[in-house]
Amino acid sequence: MIQSQPAAAPALADKMKIENLDIFYGTFQAMKRANLSVPDRHVMALIGPSGCGKSTFLRALNRMHDLTPGARVEGKVTLDGVDIYAPSIDPVTVRHRIGMVFQRPNPFPKSIFENVVYGAKIHGEKNPKRLAEIAEKSLRAAALWDEVKDRLSRSALDLSGGQQQRLCIARVLAVEPEVILMDEPASALDPIATSKIEDLIGELKRDYTVIIVTHSMQQAARISDFTSFFLLGELIEVGTTSDIFTRPRDKRTEDYITGRYG
Amino acid sequence: MAQAVIAQPAVARLRGSNARSRRIVDRIATAALWGASSLVVLLLLLFIGFEFYRGASSISWQFLTGSPTAGTAGGGIGPLIFNSFYVLILTLAFTVPISVCAGMYLQEYSAGGRFKAIVQFSAESLATVPSIVMGLFGLLVFVSALHWHFTALGGALTLTLLNLPAMMRVTQEALAGVPGTYREASMACGATKWQTVLKVILPSAIGPLTTGVVLVSGRIFGETAALIYTAGASVSYGRSAYDVNPFHTAETLAVGLYQVHREALVPDVDRIANGSALVLLVMVLVFNVVARVVGRALTLRFTGKAR
Repeated sequence: MIQSQPAAAPALADKMKIENLDIFYGTFQAMKRANLSVPDRHVMALIGPSGCGKSTFLRALNRMHDLTPGARVEGKVTLDGVDIYAPSIDPVTVRHRIGMVFQRPNPFPKSIFENVVYGAKIHGEKNPKRLAEIAEKSLRAAALWDEVKDRLSRSALDLSGGQQQRLCIARVLAVEPEVILMDEPASALDPIATSKIEDLIGELKRDYTVIIVTHSMQQAARISDFTSFFLLGELIEVGTTSDIFTRPRDKRTEDYITGRYG
Repeated sequence: MAQAVIAQPAVARLRGSNARSRRIVDRIATAALWGASSLVVLLLLLFIGFEFYRGASSISWQFLTGSPTAGTAGGGIGPLIFNSFYVLILTLAFTVPISVCAGMYLQEYSAGGRFKAIVQFSAESLATVPSIVMGLFGLLVFVSALHWHFTALGGALTLTLLNLPAMMRVTQEALAGVPGTYREASMACGATKWQTVLKVILPSAIGPLTTGVVLVSGRIFGETAALIYTAGASVSYGRSAYDVNPFHTAETLAVGLYQVHREALVPDVDRIANGSALVLLVMVLVFNVVARVVGRALTLRFTGKAR
């Protein structure tokens, strides 16, 4: 396995660092010895064929595996140098700082407004004026404000799939995380909604570190600064997106990006 | 031309020698299944019709609100209806909090394991206890050992034991119906488990939960055997007609129906029995209808749909 650091990487501050990460479901090892550095305020894409472990890897980064009975994570995952799996760390705080957007839009069966301010309310914000500000700011940041500003009290379930997904992104932004994990956020959307999400990701990296799983190599090429390639539960290669797609070092990466499997 | 040659045997295969008989068997099967389903509806309608035919003439304002008499005709069932609701409310006050919490624990908190298995097994065992046995247990504990005698409270606690498993099941099923993606989304916003349950899971499950609670209520309302030896079979045993003291005897409508045929000293037993049966039936049907209507309304209200 090659642990190639991109040429530009040393100059960048690492937001997250993953060292020797093993993930098990029961006795099945879904991820073997993965190492990855994620630079601050950039987009890192995780690519690879179905079942390669990229989503499993992503869910380890904000301790979502804690919710899965039988799942076990070993190794080190640090956020700003602090191990998020250390015994003294509360997983709830971890998820506060590392938000997540899922494959299928999953708004709560509540109004648009209640969806956006959910996190803020959870963390104790009660002032209605402040909540309204948070809602507008987050919806603007998620490029959804103009479409929903006149119907904030309507059910989120009445929105289209693409709007629902941007609402879910707004819901994460309202918590003011530092890192946003995205698990194939556009896979359930049509091309127009997909391109809106991609544009949005380009905006988000100014303020956030984005780690995105995608099954589409074109998408990875369009939106990411760095790309890591996964295969059969292993992290094969990491590099700048242009390096990975133009001169991959590993034969397996090359086979994948040239369409020989997956 | 070439196509016709190929098509010929294909059509012959499609027609098949047994096609006709298979089609007939298929029709018969469909008809039989439809018939069985219709029979259920028909039986219910017949039953309701019969009860109305027998009991409708008994119903009057005097009958619904008047008190039972001893020895003379013209008694009513007012206090019995009151007691039925009173015992129901007392029972729900115990059953709902305990079973909702237990069901919530099993569904949302326990990750399988031994404790969950023990609780499930206990609930299932409790569910198989016949209500008359539960009634005798209540007699031993609440009436004799605690010296409460026949009381509304003793009856309600016995009914609580009887209905805990069903109510727990209802809670578990209502919570299981909430998509797992809601849980993930909430946790990914940095919510704690309890916040997730309270703000997302429960509101999403409130419709089915209410439906379940009202359906179980219908059963509690009609329960008889468990109450005869616990809440008592008398309305004149040291109490006024509408008595809210939980330590007084409380004969419910269902128990009254059983009792009136057995030992009532009134000349119009049939009139009272038929009227009581009709009222009981209508009440239980109302519970079923209300369960569905309220459940749907709450789902709409709490999930913000169709605003």
